[in-house]
Amino acid sequence: MRLRLFGLALGLLGFVSALSAQGQNLLVVIEDESDKTKYSQFWSDLQDRGFQLSYRSPKDTTLSLFLHGEPAYSHLLLLPTKSKGFGPNLTPNLIVDFVNGGSNVLLASATSKKAIKNFFSVDGLVAFPHAVGQVLGNASPLLASVIKAPATAYTYNPKEDSTEGLEDVFATGAQLTLVSAFQARNSARFTVLGSSAALEDKWFDASVSLPGSTSGKTGQKTANKAFAHALSAWTFKELGVLRVNSVTHRLAEDTRAGITNSTAVSAAPGDVNPEIYRIKNRVHYAVSLSEYSGTHWIPFTPPAGDAVQLEFSMLSPFHRLDLTPSPDTTNPQDNATLYTAEFVLPDQHGIFNFFLEYRRPFYTNVEEKRTVSVRHFAHDEWPRSFVISAAFPWIGGIWVTVLGWLGFVGLWVYSKPGGARRELKVGGVGGKK
Amino acid sequence: MRLLSSLAITGLSLGSAFAASWGFEDATLTVSSKGAGVGSAGVKEKLTPNSPLTSYAVTLPAADTLKIVLTATEGKTGKRPHQPFLTLHDTTTGLEESFPFSLKDSGKGKVEVTQKDLPYQLLTSKSPLKASLVLASFGSSTPYASHAFDLALELDSAAPPATPPASERYTSKPEIHHIFKAEPGSPPKVISFFFTLCVLATLPVLLGAWALLGANVDHFGKAFGAAPVSHGLFMGSVVAMEGVFFMYYISWNLFQMLPVAAVVGTVAYVSGSRALTEVQDRRLAGER
Repeated sequence: MRLRLFGLALGLLGFVSALSAQGQNLLVVIEDESDKTKYSQFWSDLQDRGFQLSYRSPKDTTLSLFLHGEPAYSHLLLLPTKSKGFGPNLTPNLIVDFVNGGSNVLLASATSKKAIKNFFSVDGLVAFPHAVGQVLGNASPLLASVIKAPATAYTYNPKEDSTEGLEDVFATGAQLTLVSAFQARNSARFTVLGSSAALEDKWFDASVSLPGSTSGKTGQKTANKAFAHALSAWTFKELGVLRVNSVTHRLAEDTRAGITNSTAVSAAPGDVNPEIYRIKNRVHYAVSLSEYSGTHWIPFTPPAGDAVQLEFSMLSPFHRLDLTPSPDTTNPQDNATLYTAEFVLPDQHGIFNFFLEYRRPFYTNVEEKRTVSVRHFAHDEWPRSFVISAAFPWIGGIWVTVLGWLGFVGLWVYSKPGGARRELKVGGVGGKK
Repeated sequence: MRLLSSLAITGLSLGSAFAASWGFEDATLTVSSKGAGVGSAGVKEKLTPNSPLTSYAVTLPAADTLKIVLTATEGKTGKRPHQPFLTLHDTTTGLEESFPFSLKDSGKGKVEVTQKDLPYQLLTSKSPLKASLVLASFGSSTPYASHAFDLALELDSAAPPATPPASERYTSKPEIHHIFKAEPGSPPKVISFFFTLCVLATLPVLLGAWALLGANVDHFGKAFGAAPVSHGLFMGSVVAMEGVFFMYYISWNLFQMLPVAAVVGTVAYVSGSRALTEVQDRRLAGER
């Protein structure tokens, strides 16, 4: 056992430089082996971050995204091919299955019919040569735009004669997205980079200048390298990964104080995560959240203006509360933020959920559901009648009855008949005689 | 690649003193309703490349058409650029929409915009839209993009634009705090105390009425003298039964109360029959 543990520790040491919160296996689909050198800086950056890169051609017949029905790689990087598709091993359906299996995809495109042309700016820092724009539908909250095209960008078909003026514009300006991100419900990530050339060494080292800037300036080095790092880090789950360390809920009051004979089906103040509460119980909820930051877990803090919210729900939420963050001091090894709330359960009995749902663009989804029963008041948990002022006349009536009954029994047993009444009776009887 | 090479050339040409640039000539802006003749245009303005029309915001009523006619020029000669746009920009939200001019090879052409062409977000803009003209193409000429005029929209109050349904986004939602039912209340205590006193007052009234009718306990000594155990147990068990009920009210449950009540009840039954025999004896003796 000790040996095995030791081996495990060794294995962990071996992966200490690995960064992704998910896995290290990265499949790079590149058509031309000779094109590989064009991206050498990007490859070395990925390798330095602990990824194990496998280069395969889409034409390779042995190429398969799956091994024994499970995704064979944690991450996939698709570089454009000269042909229209990626071939029978990388059909859209297979890639969708791959994403459903929880793996991440970075798609760099250059072979689209729609191309973005921009005469005015290269977005200041990041150069997107030959960019392909994407238009995101408004319907899905899973899609997010990473970089929008500048205001004067528009799409046109480069296959048409470019000297012709264009009549029909598909999309213009900031409606276009140069880099867009998609995060599936299982938190698998799919990033579309509008320009594969932006990852090339040439553009990592290039100097660009904004048109219209003063002619004396020679230009600025592109931030492509940093951007490629950030984009691949996000796609391959080195950034924006959340972890729930623990979820606890407990009673925050001593409801059984002063009740000698409470029902057995009840949460005691010391219980952690009890299965049952009573309506109007004051409860305390705490969830510990960490965020992965490339190399290690750090306490998670939501962006300004955002809040981690807890719902206490039966079909629909009865409570939806912003949780209060505080450093998690009880479990310092987790390196987490503790989000807490204290609230009174609704006056409705039934099966309820403590439902924590944190879905935000660029963060992995957090969904934690804890089901509890909420019972109504037991018969001995109500206030006694003698503390209810409206009951005093009834209680008085009972005492009057008790004392009147005792008095009646005493009189009936011990009373000596009065003389006058008997004479009256005797006289009446005598009169009839 | 074409973009950056054109950029590079732009940079070079900026260095040199002579550079052609895009611009326009003979630009007129009209706002007219469909049926009206050419002469009866509501608004007619001349646009010049270097001085935007900022003195007032051009108003576009619901049924009318905004029309801009111009000749695009590269340097001095009329030419068609690849990107001739009229861009409407909402300064508060940052949203924008572009409309391409349809130009001839000579650079002459026009664009027409009605309220139907505008998306909902621009139609419902609170402030006037900022309209710019964008003229640019491949090559070394400096592109033109400049604020031309402001456009105010006069919506048809009879037919307001249909509000598109809000699209789902992952954000924090408004807080919900459960609204509890009202706590059970009591009437004013004065009223409760008054009726409590009324109820309690019936006991002295009852005892007084019995006393007036000649009720007494004169046979107490006689009864205890004849059957002390029976009478003692009987009265004791009657009082004890009230005590059992009282304990049931205060703290006992049914299973604690029933056996005690059974014992007390048996005592009351047995001793009661003896005590009542003594009472019967007094009645038969003519003392009742």
